[in-house]
Amino acid sequence: VKGTRVRFGVRRLRRVAVQLVFLVAIGGMVAWLGSNLSANLRRLGFSTDYSFLSQPAGFDIAGSDFDSSSTVLEAMRVGTRNTIQASAVGIVLATALGLTVGICRLSPNWLLRRLGTMFVETFRNVPVLVIILFMYLAVVLKFPPIEQPLRPLGLAVVSNRGIWLPAPLRGFVPLVSVLVLGAVVAAVVTAALARRGARRRGLAGGGILLVALIAAWASAGAGLSVPQQAGRVVTGGIRVQAGMVALVAGLVLYTSTHIGELVRASIQAVPKGQGEAAEALGLSSSQRLRLVVIPQALRIMVPPLANQYLNLTKNSSLGVAVGFAELTLVTRVATSSASPAPQAISVLMGVYLALSLLIAAATNLLNRRLLAAGQR
Amino acid sequence: VRRPRLRRAVPALLCVLGLSTAACTSSGDDAKPNAKNASSTSVLDDVKTRGKLRCGVNKDVPGFGFLTPAGTYAGFDIDYCKAIAAAVIGDSNAVEYKPLAAAQRFPALKTKEIDVLARNTTANATRDGSDGATFATTTFYDGQGLMVKSSSKFKAVTDLKDTAICVLTGTTTELNLASQFRGRGIAYEPKPFETVDTLRQAFVSGACDAWTSDKSQLAGIRSTWPAESGGPAALTILPDTLSKEPLAPAVLDGDSKWASAVNWVVLATIQAEEFKLTQGNVDQMRTETTDPDVKRFLGVPLEAGKPPFDPGLGLPVDFAYKVTKQIGNYAEIYDRNVGPNTALGLPRGQNALWTSGGLLYAQPYR
Repeated sequence: VKGTRVRFGVRRLRRVAVQLVFLVAIGGMVAWLGSNLSANLRRLGFSTDYSFLSQPAGFDIAGSDFDSSSTVLEAMRVGTRNTIQASAVGIVLATALGLTVGICRLSPNWLLRRLGTMFVETFRNVPVLVIILFMYLAVVLKFPPIEQPLRPLGLAVVSNRGIWLPAPLRGFVPLVSVLVLGAVVAAVVTAALARRGARRRGLAGGGILLVALIAAWASAGAGLSVPQQAGRVVTGGIRVQAGMVALVAGLVLYTSTHIGELVRASIQAVPKGQGEAAEALGLSSSQRLRLVVIPQALRIMVPPLANQYLNLTKNSSLGVAVGFAELTLVTRVATSSASPAPQAISVLMGVYLALSLLIAAATNLLNRRLLAAGQR
Repeated sequence: VRRPRLRRAVPALLCVLGLSTAACTSSGDDAKPNAKNASSTSVLDDVKTRGKLRCGVNKDVPGFGFLTPAGTYAGFDIDYCKAIAAAVIGDSNAVEYKPLAAAQRFPALKTKEIDVLARNTTANATRDGSDGATFATTTFYDGQGLMVKSSSKFKAVTDLKDTAICVLTGTTTELNLASQFRGRGIAYEPKPFETVDTLRQAFVSGACDAWTSDKSQLAGIRSTWPAESGGPAALTILPDTLSKEPLAPAVLDGDSKWASAVNWVVLATIQAEEFKLTQGNVDQMRTETTDPDVKRFLGVPLEAGKPPFDPGLGLPVDFAYKVTKQIGNYAEIYDRNVGPNTALGLPRGQNALWTSGGLLYAQPYR
């Protein structure tokens, strides 16, 4: 027994040593490539530092307070904000549409099923850039001009320069933050009550949510700012730029087909016996779905769903084609004016990497929770 | 059981070590010739041995650089590509055109994907400095302008308050627009586009009120405006000029031999006009002229039996003759592509010889 342990130790040491050598080799390689790049850049007379970030940008960005005297860093911040906005809205809408499509594809209704299939096969098989360009050139640009916009219900302004929607008086930030806080409190309280086996815990949670909703509404100004148009100027409301409309529409149409297929596949991947067993226990069809099938389907669905969210976020860089000032466009404008391309692009890559890791972390958390719930 | 494993591990280890040493040695080998290339061999020699000039051009601007329906390139800048090829290689058709988007052109120049950039490019300090370009003599003095629909109420820049303005990204135009409107205190919204096609669609549909670019380009776009959209009369170029835009061919920094060669091809077209040498009369002048300046310029011996004048530019002694014979002088290039009798109909204006009140002035060839 003793001999085995020693042998085991040696083997382990050897493994660690091999991996260390590997690490050193790879690290050396990266360092060599980096020093080669910076040496060559210096030889060609290019700067290798990041001081350009604090230089004035010299260009303007539509739909923001940013102007040409602000710094390049500020420009990239505005670009990042636009990227996050487009991706976040896109992820929410793509998930909603994807769920609908996936459920339609499994519907016993012939028409719904066929419509679902048609939708998936159409948008899945066209490059996302083409969909975005189509949405911009053939849809958004065909909206009426700003001087005579559409005013659906008198609440919004729709023109080919963008869509203005009614917004809470103090914006969305207080609204969303209070709502999220309320939801967390409701979830914690419901969970605590559930542990004690209290009845009517759902009612308590619902009550807290209702209070949070009212509080959120009040903190956001307790009223609506409705956009008003006069000539070429629109005041009030919240603006969605024309490029963002086309970008988000394109991303949502494309990604929702993939999400729809994921939903369908995950539900079908739950063994048929599970549903049948639930039926034998006397559960109704909605209980069967809610308590047995969906929880198991979710566990299959979440990891690939994260991939779709990552793809959507990265594809938002195609906003460059329709003049939406997301991060990639801003970086391109910056590099073509005075910023050094290698450094600017390294910042660009860093931001996308951070966003992707954030999404991955969030979905991993969800995934772990789902797995834990399954094992319980 | 253990020994074979060790035997398997050793080669793997050697492999890793071998890989890294291979990388190290190859790095040393690579670095040296590169450094040598930069210092001793010029693009001028590369172009001569290759027998082909790689020219970065535009394919979307009528009159300056565009792809004709027949699939060939034509325009003012294209003629300068041809002139350089005629001077260096002796054949104006020995050009490989590389169509480039505005934002690609300096990266293409830096990575030596092209030998020369002749793509309606404004010479300025940043491009000369950090972008690593060396500019030849200006071939076209341009200025930034604004184009609006004739049916609109806009008559001058000051009318453009609260408008959206379409602009190509990656151009000096975008930066001028920002600084000019800021300076005049006019609120506006920039609509940046990557390609002219998307920008045109946005302009047609009224998503932007004005289109800003160099006036020469606007004139080119206006001249080919489709009849079903009202033809050229449907568009108006506002009288205001927002900036100076001297357009010039550019080469990569650090190769003065090549830069000089390109510069002297441009100067030769101007000098040829000053000498009144044209495509039609240059053969005759070459044999009949008695003017020593013209003889030097065309590479004819000043006295029989003596070698012709060679200023040591690395170009053939008769390069100016070849350029004039194959492409023509500046006036011919101008009139053929953008002059009053073309669709663009641009008057010579500032782009006339210094002897007739313009800005074109060639340094003496001697």
